[in-house]
Amino acid sequence: MTGVIETSGLTKRYRRVTALSDCTISVPQGRISGLVGENGAGKTTLLRLLAGLAAPTEGRATVLGGAPRQDLAYLAEIGFLAQEIPLYRRLTAQEHIGFGAHLNPRWDGESVRARLAGLKIPLDRPVGALSGGQRAQVALALTLAKRPALLLLDEPLAALDPLARRDFLAALAEAVAAKGDSEEGVERAWGGGRGAGGGLTVLLSSHLIADIERVCDHLILLAGSRVQLCGDIDTLLAQHRVLTGPHKDTTAIARTHAIVREDSTARQTTLLVKLNGPVTDPAWAVEEANLEEIVLGYMSQDSPGHSAGPQTARLSAVGGER
Amino acid sequence: MTWVLWRQYRVTAAIAGAILAAFAVLLLVTGLQDAARWHAALVTCAKDGTCGNLSQTVSLGSGPLNTLAVLTLAVPLVFGMFWGGPAVARERETGTMQFAWTQSVTRRHWLSVKAAWLLLAAAVFGGAVAGIVTWWYAPVNALHHGQFAPGYFDIQGIVPIGYAVFAVALGIAAGTLIGRSLPALAVTAGVFLAVRLVITYVVRVHYLPAVTTIYSVTRNFTPKGAYWPLTQGVVLPGGQFSTSLIVAPGVIQGFGTVPASCPASSAVPIGSTLACMARLGYRSFATYQPGYRFWPFQFMETGIFVALAAALIGVTFLVVLRRDA
Repeated sequence: MTGVIETSGLTKRYRRVTALSDCTISVPQGRISGLVGENGAGKTTLLRLLAGLAAPTEGRATVLGGAPRQDLAYLAEIGFLAQEIPLYRRLTAQEHIGFGAHLNPRWDGESVRARLAGLKIPLDRPVGALSGGQRAQVALALTLAKRPALLLLDEPLAALDPLARRDFLAALAEAVAAKGDSEEGVERAWGGGRGAGGGLTVLLSSHLIADIERVCDHLILLAGSRVQLCGDIDTLLAQHRVLTGPHKDTTAIARTHAIVREDSTARQTTLLVKLNGPVTDPAWAVEEANLEEIVLGYMSQDSPGHSAGPQTARLSAVGGER
Repeated sequence: MTWVLWRQYRVTAAIAGAILAAFAVLLLVTGLQDAARWHAALVTCAKDGTCGNLSQTVSLGSGPLNTLAVLTLAVPLVFGMFWGGPAVARERETGTMQFAWTQSVTRRHWLSVKAAWLLLAAAVFGGAVAGIVTWWYAPVNALHHGQFAPGYFDIQGIVPIGYAVFAVALGIAAGTLIGRSLPALAVTAGVFLAVRLVITYVVRVHYLPAVTTIYSVTRNFTPKGAYWPLTQGVVLPGGQFSTSLIVAPGVIQGFGTVPASCPASSAVPIGSTLACMARLGYRSFATYQPGYRFWPFQFMETGIFVALAAALIGVTFLVVLRRDA
């Protein structure tokens, strides 16, 4: 099947730093996909490439049926929220609503007013005078009001308190469900011939695995500027197991399964493995892995062909999230 | 997009409008007074038959307001630094570029509208200031014919419009290339001053070949109207031009270069020295840009600055369309 987002070999280099290398992913339509990875892993770069704010050094991205580009039909379908929540600090939320209304063909300014009224965020104060959390809410509401087919959200939860986070995730899930079922937005240029119509797809980056687990059904994991995992969360959970056993040789396991991570103490060994069939050796206790274990397992794994040294060096070299 | 810009810039526009209004009122009041004095002086001198030395009997074009008018030289630079410089750079610094560029508006459209309005505002405000100053200077010009001189040429007529448009385009381009407002302001100021100085003092004089008039050393010569004097001196009997000796009735500058065969000392009347030089074949010359070229030069210089502005805007487009947000 063709995803809303398809990339192949997507690479972005900034002078000497490689922010994203050889990224090949597919995000199916109508999903909420979580993008995880440590700081500097390339999450922001990937989102900016997909939004058309940056151009790839190599490789290709296909978003909504074409490359990210400078045309109205494409831009109208993309909702992007940058990590630093950039808004015009001297303008009010109300003025930002007008901003959107004048620059977008579909615009649901009423939804922003309703959301902000519900959160008791004043519409008539310069957004620079709002708290960080309030500003994030304004920016999120504005991004949603554009009614895009694809939402690209870079750390939208970072500035929110736990309650606001839960509400936002609920609203997001609701928006995806609503768009999936129905009507409006069916007549999208890119989705016109796609039967079920233009369901909302979301790609959101976050550090908070619990939040990802709560709302996402698809996961992309970046580590050291490379894609380590990309797939349905259910599938990932089904594929991975935690094996615990006495301290012993793991080569037998490694022969059949892929060992993602190995922790050994003097007395026992814990393995995170990607299964390739059942584990037959009764010496190992087999338990289901939760998402956090899988994510952390892959994050701490040395990527193929790299010892711990160079990878650490590379991660620190990447520095910021660009 | 225009609505969006208006929201972003209306405070700036209001401030600029208020300053312009205050400036206009100040110059209007004093300008009317100057005009009245000028007319009164004309009436008086016509009665007395003393209009020949009007510039000695009437004092116009001096004082603090004259300084203020001359200070309008800096107006285009202020536009360039504070309107042009941050136009793109500030959006990059604060990240709002990412907000603007992910609305349903292409970068090309975003920049076209933004640059067009800023350049238009610069032309309108710069033109208004220049218009007021030009009007204010009318009696002074009539009296002193000084409007072609560097410095005065630059604040009257239409060249200030060209400067303002250029300065804003320069600011936008510098901000786009550098990506940060403050360094962009500095670069804008530096480049603007350099270009202005080079054009004023090196290039301008060559727009049209200067006119040289050769005349008798025993006579005075003053070109008509607001001419721009360049050099003067004497033509030696051999035909060479020398600027180390300047003579006019009653005046000899450069006594040392007076030919030895003509007695020249404080004891000898200047008139006889000059008559002697005339007999030997010495003539005076003056090189200048005639006053009727004031407007052709205004148009040429404005054209140059508008062309430079267009090139800078072209560069800005290339960068904005290609570089990452």
